[in-house]
Order: sequence, then C-alpha cells, then structure tokens
Amino acid sequence: MKISQYWLKQFVDFKLSPMQFVEKLSMLGLEVESFEELARKYDNFVIGEVVECVKHPNADRLTVCKVNTGKLVQEIICGAPNVAAGQKVVVAYVGAVIPNNQHDPEGKPFTLERTKIRGIESNGMICSEYELGLGKDASGILVLDSKVKIGISLAKYLNQTDVIYEIGITPNRADCLSHIGVAREIGALVNKKIKLPPVKLKESKTPTNKFAKIEILDKERCPRYSARVLRNVKIAPSPKWLQDILISVGVRPINNIVDVTNYVLMETGHPLHAFDYDKLIDHKIIVKTAVDGDKFITLDGKERMLTSDMLMICDAEKPIAIAGVMGGANTEISDSTVNVLLESAYFNAKNIRRTSKKLDLSTEASYRFERGTDINNTVIAVDRAAQLIQELTGAELLKGAIDAYPKKRKQVVVKARVSRTNSVIGVSLTKSQIISILKKIELHAKSISKDEILVNVPSFRNDIIEEIDVIEEVARVYGYNNIETKTHASIDFSSNVRAEALQNNIREYLIGSGFNEILSVSLQDEEAHSLAGKPLVKVLNPVSSEMAVLQSNLVLPALRVVKHNQNHGVKDLRLFEIGNVFNMDVTKEKHLLEAYGEEEKLLMLIAGNISPVSYGVNQRLVDIFDIKGEVSSLLTKFCLDNYRFIYYDNNKTLSEPSIGVEINGVYAGFFGKVKKEIADKLDVDENIFICELSISSIRDGWITNRKFKALPKFPSVIRDLAFTVDIKLPQIAIEDVIKQIGQPLLKSVVLFDMYSGNQTGDDKKSVAYSLEFQSPDRTLMDEEIDNTLKKIIEAVQNQCGGVLRS
Amino acid sequence: MLNKIEETKQTFNDELNKAETLSDVEKVRIRFLTRSGEIAELFNSIKTAAPSDKPLLGKALNELRQYAQEKFDQKKSSLEKSTQPKVTSLDITIPGRPKPIGSKHPITQVMEDIERIFIGMGFSVETGPEIESDYYNFGALNFAPDHPARDMQDTIFIANDILLRTHTSPVQIRVMEKQSPPVRAIMPGWVYRNEAISARSLAAFHQIEGLYVDEGVTFSELKGTLVAFAKQYYGSSIKYRFRPSFFPFTEPSAEMDITCYLCGGNGCRICKYSGWLEVCGAGMVHPHVFQSVGYDYEKYTGYAFGMGIERTALLRYGIDDIRILYENDVRFLKQF
Repeated sequence: MKISQYWLKQFVDFKLSPMQFVEKLSMLGLEVESFEELARKYDNFVIGEVVECVKHPNADRLTVCKVNTGKLVQEIICGAPNVAAGQKVVVAYVGAVIPNNQHDPEGKPFTLERTKIRGIESNGMICSEYELGLGKDASGILVLDSKVKIGISLAKYLNQTDVIYEIGITPNRADCLSHIGVAREIGALVNKKIKLPPVKLKESKTPTNKFAKIEILDKERCPRYSARVLRNVKIAPSPKWLQDILISVGVRPINNIVDVTNYVLMETGHPLHAFDYDKLIDHKIIVKTAVDGDKFITLDGKERMLTSDMLMICDAEKPIAIAGVMGGANTEISDSTVNVLLESAYFNAKNIRRTSKKLDLSTEASYRFERGTDINNTVIAVDRAAQLIQELTGAELLKGAIDAYPKKRKQVVVKARVSRTNSVIGVSLTKSQIISILKKIELHAKSISKDEILVNVPSFRNDIIEEIDVIEEVARVYGYNNIETKTHASIDFSSNVRAEALQNNIREYLIGSGFNEILSVSLQDEEAHSLAGKPLVKVLNPVSSEMAVLQSNLVLPALRVVKHNQNHGVKDLRLFEIGNVFNMDVTKEKHLLEAYGEEEKLLMLIAGNISPVSYGVNQRLVDIFDIKGEVSSLLTKFCLDNYRFIYYDNNKTLSEPSIGVEINGVYAGFFGKVKKEIADKLDVDENIFICELSISSIRDGWITNRKFKALPKFPSVIRDLAFTVDIKLPQIAIEDVIKQIGQPLLKSVVLFDMYSGNQTGDDKKSVAYSLEFQSPDRTLMDEEIDNTLKKIIEAVQNQCGGVLRS
Repeated sequence: MLNKIEETKQTFNDELNKAETLSDVEKVRIRFLTRSGEIAELFNSIKTAAPSDKPLLGKALNELRQYAQEKFDQKKSSLEKSTQPKVTSLDITIPGRPKPIGSKHPITQVMEDIERIFIGMGFSVETGPEIESDYYNFGALNFAPDHPARDMQDTIFIANDILLRTHTSPVQIRVMEKQSPPVRAIMPGWVYRNEAISARSLAAFHQIEGLYVDEGVTFSELKGTLVAFAKQYYGSSIKYRFRPSFFPFTEPSAEMDITCYLCGGNGCRICKYSGWLEVCGAGMVHPHVFQSVGYDYEKYTGYAFGMGIERTALLRYGIDDIRILYENDVRFLKQF
C-alpha cells in the first residue's frame, strides 16, 4: 500500500532519509518495495523575481530579463508578452525537465539546455503554467503572488515535498494497513510513542438515537456496529489538501463525504461507509444475512447475486449494502444528499472473505475486514470522520454515537516463556529485556513467574494469539541481524542421500553420448495431448488453453520441442528428458488423491542425421536401429543384461513400430518411430525415433553392487559363419540357435553383415556372424571349435533352414 | 653355378644402387625377389645340379635371398624417409570427425549445484507428488481456511480439494509423517501457480525446500546454515541480511537477502535499485505444523526454508526471459 511520509509525521516525529526509511522498515518486516520523492519532479525549478526587463537587441518579441533567484542574478531571455520587472516567477535552470513543451504539438516534456538566443546567452527559462504542468494557460509566464519568497524551490512553493512509499504488507499484519499502523512501527524504531489525531466534536443537542436505530440480527458475523448521523451536509468536491493527499496514496477523490471516509480509512485502517440517511426506510439499520437468490445492485452499478451466508446491511425494507464489501446504489451519497449516516462496524473476517471471493469483488474495505480490523476502533473512526465532515461542510452532528456492541470482546492475554523464547531464537535474553522489547510495539507484559510473562495484546494485533506469536515479535523487534549466525555440527547422514543418484547418472551418461537435456512444463494443450489417448488429468482453472491438461507421456511435449527446433532450422536432434507423467484412475472419486498417479520417466529422442556434417563421414538419416542401439547401450550400462526387448506390438498409440522393453521381466517402456499420423498432426518432420522408459524400472534393474570378475587368462578365438536363409526369417532365430548350441565355449555372437540381392536371390538373405570362443581354464584347440561349429551349422540348417555359405 | 650366384648378387647391388625412386626399387624387387624373379630362377636351376652340390648351392642361394631382401628393405625405407616431404598429402587442418555434444539443462545444473551443497551438510534428498490435496498443500501447513494467506499463492485446481502443489512445502509434511526426528532433508521439484504467462512467470517453476527438525534447533542456526550455503553458492564475499516476513507454516519467518551480485550492492535494474536480492524464504517450523504430523512441539524445534530456482538461473546465466528456459531451443541448450 502507498504510505505518505507527510501523513506519517502527523503521528510520529522521525528523521529518516528515504533510503534509511526503506532499510529500517524492511528490517522490521514491512517490506518497502519502492518510494517516490514528489519533489524530484521539480528539481532545478526555483522561485525568482524579475528585476529588470530590456528589449532583446536582435529580436522584437524577446525580452532580456535579469532574474534574482536569491543567491544569483542572471540573464534569462523570455518570449512571453506579459513579462515585467517586479514579477515573482518560476525559473527553470539548465537540466530541469520541463513537463510540457509549448512548441510541441503534443506538449512532450524536454530537458532544458543552455542556449544562446540571437546572440545572447540565456541561463534558464521563465515558465508558463502550461509548461510547468500546473494548468492550461500557455499565453504567458506564470506570475506568482508578490509575497512569495524568492529562492525557495518550486516543490516547496507547491507543497510537493512529500515522499510516497510503496509498502508490501504481509497478510498477518492487518494493523499496518494504515498510516497510524505504520507510524506505530516507526515509533518502535525511533523509540517514540505515537500521537493520535485529537478528535474534538461539536455535537448538537439532538441525540442520534432518536433519529436512527440499529439492530444486529447476526451477532456472529457482526459483533459491533457503530454509527453517527450528520445533518445538512453540503456535498461538494473536497478541498485541495484532501484531494492531494488522497491522490498521493492512490485514492480517487469523489466528493467531500466519500473522501472523508476514505481519508479515515487510510489514516486509521478502519473502513467506513456513508449512507444517504433520507433514503433509509424508517431510518433503521438491520444487520442480517441475505436470502438465497436475492439480487442487489452495488455502487459500481453491477447486479450481484446473493447467497444466504452473505451478511447484508438493510433498512426496514431492503438491503442497502453488502456488509464490509460494498455499499448499494440505492442509498449512495449523491449531489442531492442532505443528511448522512456514517457506518463504522466490525465484521467477522472469514465471512467477509468468503463473500468477497464468491462475488469476485475485492475492495479497500473487504481487503481490511478479511485481514481483521480493530474492534475497539469503530467509535474512534466514526468520530474522526464526523469531525472532518463537520469541519469541511459545517454540518450538524447529532449527539452521541450509536454503538451496538452486544458482547464485549475480552482482552486477549498470551503467556510466554523466557526459556522457550531463547531456545527458539537462539539468544539469551533476560525477562526484563523481553518485556522492554515488547513494550516498544505496545505489547504490555508483566512477569507472572520465574520463567513466564503475561502479555496484554492490543486489539489491533489480532495476529498474536499464542506464545510463538510473541516469540516472533521479540525476534523481529530485537532484530534478526542481531541474532548470532551459527551452526552446530551434527553428524547424522540419512540413507536417502542417493535418491537422485540414478537420475544424475543417467543424465551424465546421456550427455556424454551427445544428448541435450530438455525440460518441459507438464501443463499441455488438451487437444494435442489427447493424441496419447488415456484419461488425462485436466485442470479446472487453466492459465491458458495451451496449459489445460497434465502430460500423460513425455513424447508429445518432446515433439513440441522438435517442432520448435525444426521451425528454427535445427533438424538433427538428440534430446532427453527426465520428468513426471500423470494419469488418473477414472474409477476413483475425483476429489481423492488416490485417483491420481504420477510416474517419473526417461525420454530419449533422435531425429534428422546421425552425425553432424563433416568431411570423411557418410551422412545418413537416423533409423530404428540407432534408437535401439541407444536403448541397449543405456540399459547395458545400468542393468547389464537384465533387460530384453519384446518384438510384438505393445503400445501403438505413439509409435509404429513399437518395441517393448522389459527389465527384470517387468515392462519398463517402449521405443520406436513416431507414428506418421502424429507427426503430421503436430506438423513435425517424419523420421523421429523415441524411447520412453520408467525411471523406477531402471532403478529396479540397476546393478550398483558390482563384484569384480577375474579377467580371462586364455586367449579367445574368433570364427565367422555366414548362412543363406529365407528373407522373412528374423535373424534372432539364428542367433538364438547359435547361442544355444555354442554353449559352453561360445562367449559372444555379433551379427556383422546382412545382405540380400543377386547372389542370394530375392527370397533369401545372407546373414553373417562373428563368433567368439573362450574357455576359462585352457587355450582352445582347433578341433574343439571345429566340432562346435559343425554342430551349430547343422542346427541352423535343421532349425532355420540356413545353408552355410563358403 | 656359384659364379652365377655371385654375378646375380653383383647385378642386384648395381641395380639397387642405381635406383633413385621408390618405383625404381620396386622394379628391382620385381626383377630379383618375386616368384618368377632371378633369384627364384636360380633356385629352380639347382634342381638340375649334381646332388652333392645341392646343399652348398642351396645355402648360398638362401644367403643371397636373405641378403637381397635386407638390402632392398634398407634401400626402400631410406628412400621413403628421404622422399617423404615431397609426397605428403596429410592435411592436418581437416577437422576431426565430430561427435554430437550433449548438455545439461541450465535448471538442472542450478538444482544439482544447490543440492550438492546441502548434501554435503548432511541433508538427504526427498521428493513428493506434484498433484496434492488441499490438506498437504495448505491445511497441514497452518493455512487456515478462508485466511488471506491463501492469496499469497494462486492455485491451479484439478478437482475440489485436489490441486497442483503451489510450493514444495507439502513434501515437509510427507517426510515428517513417515519419519520421526531428527529430520534433515531438502526437497526439490516443480511447483505451479495460476499466474499469467510473462517474461517473469510461466505458471510452473522449480523450488528447493529444506527442513531440519531436531532437539535444540534455533533460528540462529537457521541463519548459520543459510549463510554457509549462500557463501558456497554465491561466493564467500557476499553480504547478507535477514528480514522478518510471514509464512503461515513458519514463525518467526524471514526472507534472506544477499548483496546484488550484478551491481555489488550499488543498485541496478535487477535488484530494483535496492542493492539486495531476495534469495530465500525461511523460518522456524510453526508448532501447528508439528501438531499436524504428531511431533512433540515442546521437545523439538526445527527450521524450514525454500528458494526458487528459475530466478537464480536467470540471474546466474544472464537470461532475461523465463520462457526461453522451456522452449528447449537446441541453440540455447548447447550454450550450457
């Protein structure tokens, strides 16, 4: 909220520069976000006196003036027809920012520079009202009252020396939503008690309660309602001082009555409302809840739908205001208003908040009521407003405030322990130190036992209800920076330190393999994401339609990334992401957490060319065997041989073909080529290969406890075998036979060539394997290997119809 | 016959001596050392020699063949050495065969750096779900129903009482529910706020939460831990301050500021001319939070803190628009 330094100083005397103010108040917990020195606008403008006027020797319409600005008498060229010796004028020096340029059609501001005009140097400029931004008159210079002192700054002349602070008040500090509240905090800083504005009322003999009645039907929602009546007010614009100060704190002036209620709001923090007394049927105020479905037109001219939990202010017949939120159009102060009823009430904070939320209507009043106002302040605030209205309009103030306060609020007291205070903060304050710290912020405490104090909480501090709240106040006023900064070593390492280790290892591995890590926001476009099928988790109040569902997979978000990059000419991609995917169980209740599932996944994606363009490297597009190779390498790295691929179609929603991956016999994910329909719909190039695996599956298969195996002592022998087989036969059939028959000497089999063409015929293919044989206990003899090879060749022939090629 | 062997040797020597280029020596090799060369012919011719002479001739021929081969090899390699500069065709300015270069997302880098520091101080790493209930996100954290503190965090809802967590603090509750004190954990992850998309907000961002609960934990120690962290992460010369603040789940609550490292505290656009940067919200765990998880709040005290990662990353890498972080433009990613 905006706080005026000038206003604050009416309650507490302090000398702090704006920078000191920002620093000290922030360190007390009121964060000053920015400040504006109003005088800065008028830097380099002073009041001067024209002492001499001579016609410019080289120009008919110009005058060379000697102007005395107190310390200096300088020559200034002036083009205004009305300039004359003896005038008090506003002088702008070089460097001044002139708010309106008289010679610019739009009147844009400009910075005054030193210039020679027709051969004579001008040391400044005498300004017109228009140039100063003070009015519309541009016909000549602004001539001030002859009594004005020369040499004073324009800011001082205009009384624009205030500093306006923007302070961020946290939701617990409702008491600081006013100038008096902030002044109290400053009082604590400078060790001064604040002076509240004196209220002197000139009441007539007519008692208020003869002219108005108040009845609270809902004492829970409205614990207190105070009011006053003024007669024969004259509605008019407020005087300039009132308008100026309201504008400076961001309030738009309306008329003297409304402006006074706003002034008192900004001063005391207590919201008031003024009704047109003559429009109140039976001159009666009844506080009660609304009837469901009733409609009500508020001050802003909008029709509001009411519900039975909303508290209304009514007259004998109809609602006249939504309590604590906004008044009604039917009893609004207008130019024809003669008599006024001022309301100053205390409403239940939670109820005001619910009403304000339901109506989607937040006002200065509701903002304060929902944070909690001071129940003891209602009469003080209404008296203050009555006094000001009387001063401004000369109205008759009826005798006495009406104060409906059925159940007096008890004084809040809180017990606090010295030992606890010290042990939470980490200091060693004595009881009397704590008591005197609390006294600074008007928390009066007394000792009740060796370790305990009893704190009387003032009614404006509704945030203090228990011991910890008192401890916080002690810490805050003592000063966080006065609390020692220390650590005590304690060695207690938990077991979960490595929870993220797998993800980190996978990241490092993939980065080493040339993958770029991407991160996607899980909120996705509903239409695009519905391509994934599955019940999607939808957002009730999306920020935008592009962020309306939670991702059910990492593939579609990654394809968006592909699109962005392809649009920017980057087509060779190697991407990975580790992130959560979300799903929902539609058989469960939507408002239960059990209906929602989250799973952490790893996505890999390759697209475009296999390697960067370079001399000596054959370019080719990536294919399914590239992604398969990446998946195999990754899984071998982490899970050794605890995984396998499942070659039947498993999940065809996103990719085709789609190859399943099992780790330790459990389904862990899939890889394949992005389906053409999906690529087309998302407008990305084809030939994108993807893999999505579950992180927890990889973790389950991750072999971290590795034991050394002795390296082979005897050499291995490599033999190649090539077969001609039916072109449709999967090579794995042959590979499996070789592995099976090759036991126990066969160590590995690698397919190193595959060919179909002239030499094989169209219906056949040639497959060539490199077989490695090794024994742990001896050097193998040729005969042993030949024997095994012979068996393999026979088996491949019998089981796969493979003919050995020689 | 022996003479003939000697003649051949002589001729071979002459021819080899005359040879000046690699092709010359190759011609010599073809003439003398191939299967149909002169030395091979001599081997053929001893078949017709008297049996008693054969061993002697064979030995002489073998010696000749060995001699010729050695001489040839010597000559060839000396020619190769001397002619090398003339025939060089190795252009070492040709670029090496490139490998694709991987990169870690800048947000991950910042998270890992921060995690590493706290792991070093004995914190464990815990995670929790992003879809949360009102209870975990607000209720258990002492956000009273209908309290304006709830306005501090605009919420994205999934269903009645189900929402996307607005901070990582619900993980505190989950950790304390499954574990008794002492607890010392950091909790990184995505959080969500219902805020308009702009250069400064993306409705989703990362936080790292910290929690330490034990007997005798004080605000003073909270300061100590965060200062130790800040000095490691931002540099040992930074200045810092703690300001009172408000969070429903901690009391006393604080904001930690450090001197703006872009302007050194002199004031710039980034620190809004204050010279300070807000880096962390913190405080002593509120007794009501301990009540929610069934901890004895008389016996234990604790502190908690939380920091936003994106802001840190933007400042550290000099990025001025948060949206570029999640466009995942490879030209951007490769810079890190």
